[in-house]
Amino acid sequence: MLFALLLMAAAPDWVPARWNSSDPKSLDLLAQTPINCILLESTDWSESIAKAAAGRGIATLGVVHPGAGAVDLSRKAIALKMTGIALDGDFDPKIREALADSKIPVIELPSRAKMRLDDRSAPVIGTNQGLWPGVQVEENGATKAAPSGAPWIDTNTGFLRFVRAYTSSPVWIANKPPPGMVIPVQRYVQAIGDAAIAGARWVIALDDDFNRRLLAGEPRAAADWKKIGANLKFYESHREWRAYRPHSDLALVEDTGSGALLSGGVLDMIAVKHTPVKPVPNPKLSAESMKDAKLAVDVDPSSLTPAQKEVLRDFTRGGGTLLSGPPNWKFPTPQNSEITLGKDDFTKLDEIWKEVNGLTGRRNLGARLFNVSSMLSNLLESPDGKQMILHLVNYSDYPVESITAHVLGTFQHARLYTPESEPRDLQVYKVEEGTGIDIEKINIVATLVLE
Amino acid sequence: MTRRELLAALATAPLLRAKEAPTAPVSIARSRTYDDDLGGTLSTMFDQLGGLGRLVKNKTVTIKVNLTGSPGLRFEGKPLGLTHYTHPKMAAAMAYLLERSGARRVRFVESCWASGGPMEEYLLDSGWNVRMLFGAAKAVEFENTNALGNGKQYVRLKVPGGGTIYPAFDLNHAYHDTDVFMSMAKLKNHATCGVTLSMKNCFGITPASIYGDDAGEQEPNENPTKGRGEVCHFGKRQPAKSALPEIDPNSSRQPGYRMPRIVADLAATRPIDIALIDGIETVTGGEGPWIRGLKHVKPGVIIAGTNAVTTDAVATAVMGYDPRADHGTAPFVDCDNTLRLAEAHGIGTTDLKNIDIRGLSIQEATFRF
Repeated sequence: MLFALLLMAAAPDWVPARWNSSDPKSLDLLAQTPINCILLESTDWSESIAKAAAGRGIATLGVVHPGAGAVDLSRKAIALKMTGIALDGDFDPKIREALADSKIPVIELPSRAKMRLDDRSAPVIGTNQGLWPGVQVEENGATKAAPSGAPWIDTNTGFLRFVRAYTSSPVWIANKPPPGMVIPVQRYVQAIGDAAIAGARWVIALDDDFNRRLLAGEPRAAADWKKIGANLKFYESHREWRAYRPHSDLALVEDTGSGALLSGGVLDMIAVKHTPVKPVPNPKLSAESMKDAKLAVDVDPSSLTPAQKEVLRDFTRGGGTLLSGPPNWKFPTPQNSEITLGKDDFTKLDEIWKEVNGLTGRRNLGARLFNVSSMLSNLLESPDGKQMILHLVNYSDYPVESITAHVLGTFQHARLYTPESEPRDLQVYKVEEGTGIDIEKINIVATLVLE
Repeated sequence: MTRRELLAALATAPLLRAKEAPTAPVSIARSRTYDDDLGGTLSTMFDQLGGLGRLVKNKTVTIKVNLTGSPGLRFEGKPLGLTHYTHPKMAAAMAYLLERSGARRVRFVESCWASGGPMEEYLLDSGWNVRMLFGAAKAVEFENTNALGNGKQYVRLKVPGGGTIYPAFDLNHAYHDTDVFMSMAKLKNHATCGVTLSMKNCFGITPASIYGDDAGEQEPNENPTKGRGEVCHFGKRQPAKSALPEIDPNSSRQPGYRMPRIVADLAATRPIDIALIDGIETVTGGEGPWIRGLKHVKPGVIIAGTNAVTTDAVATAVMGYDPRADHGTAPFVDCDNTLRLAEAHGIGTTDLKNIDIRGLSIQEATFRF
């Protein structure tokens, strides 16, 4: 029992990767990365790799897929002394009861619609559904535009930020790269950053070609792997950032029934416009969760309980501005493999965008960013409120130069952290809204720390 | 064909008034990168043109830059100044040079795409270091001319000779309240007009508040969010009624007919005192990333002059085209020739034989688009 508790206690620090090798020597590749938890398909299970991994302090999770033999396969993983099991897909809930006696961590990675956000006993809240992050390009090679006019970025950040606001458990997104594509290393770094800026972890998953070349010791694959490791290290060396909370004057009240589990929804749309926003899941709606907000968007008022409606009434009585959506604003919950908005929903989103844009305008709701059309950001503040961080991810294939941030409030120090160089102090200057900072260049990911 | 269309067609006939149209020298310089000494290069070019001081000393100089399309739309993710926008270093070098030549005030203007907000913010979104630009000269200002901006009312400028599409244009005050007007353009093709140089750049002086697709029916929309396609390119609707409507609503609705005329009329209405065309790095095949088949290129040239038509004629030749080419011949494949329409206005000659070219020769500078 104690051992099981110890394992569970370690789960928040697990840095996961899908690992496609049964060779214990392959674990040498993990030495240069912070990865300390590998997800193994049953074809790669063996006592030797489980033992070798344990010897290096690496947790092993046996991946089990839905099917008739799932329970037996799970018991086989336990017998092989693997650290735990990853249920990859949508299972009959009875499997949890069947494995209850095992006392080992069971990580559920279902579809988004089946996520059990309220399960406080789960070592990790995760899903195996996600978009492959990046700037969306249309068939003719042109960049697809969002309702805001900015390029549309495929991202999981809106969904992940909602989940992070819902649960204090570690959050994993375990989607795989799209098959049959040559994926340059920067796309992996973007996937890492896409999850990390929302306080979640992407379960590293290499495409087949990269995986083969890496295991064969090809130098270029090794160099790319090193880069992936450096970017993981960048976020893992600042784990405290995961505890920071969203900072914004704008609160978005939404729930699973109003599109929060979808990608490309309201939260993504606001984020693409680089408007900081604080997601407030309906069950978490309280005077406390609304205390710093000046504006609020309630996507689906009909889903609120009378007590929750009263919270919003108090918010407006206190001087807050509330934009309530009409009944037709409701978005569907994700269905099976569909995790993005349907065609009709985009029309709805465009209407919402106009309303939200009319509400926020050019107001600074925490930070305004310039020259960041290919980037997404997340503004967070430390629990003591003394530090603010601005996560940035560039989803284009080129570095972005000459970025400007206007942050509300007066800050004396600004320091830029990137994976490829030592932290460096940036000049802060006064602007009408508060503090201005210029960033010369960002390759893929960076974090600005303000004090 | 209406009488006005007939007159306009005659104006582009081969025996145009080329010899009668005024001429002015044009300077061509080599500059391979934006890290070159742009200030020094521009200084030499303006010396070749007779000196900048005589044009700008103690004067307000308004510079219309070229920031076409949303700053969010990048070509291959490259900085905008390397593809289809005016490069910020060119703007900074020019501001510095104007200051050194005695200009009293330098005002950068643009009708920022789909925005009525401050130009400074649009520039920041375009990757410009606005603080550095403020430091390039003592009195630097910015104004978004897509709406009323800092003015109290729009100014109405009548088209000399009555105009071909609109009889007059209602513009932001900045185009009137200035001593010297400069067009800082990019050397590019244009999907509708064949080329976009110093004159076509100034199509952007029309405010979308009045000529935009979401302009008010009666009054200007001071928060425009769209381009001018329906009003100007296609003539599907009239501008806000606060401005004068089209002369002939039954005239051709073809963009290749309308746009060259609007551009030539604007060049006659708000004359360009200094034309500066940045061809250090640019794109071929169109004016921006929304055009298919675009290609990033490095012609490595700057072209400047004090007559927009002679400057654009030389620039068109540097691109490998005949500046007097007819409709149907590249680059004017689907449009009338804006340069010759402007020549017909008596602004300047398109005849290269009558243009004094200083610095590099056209042959030396030619980069075939």
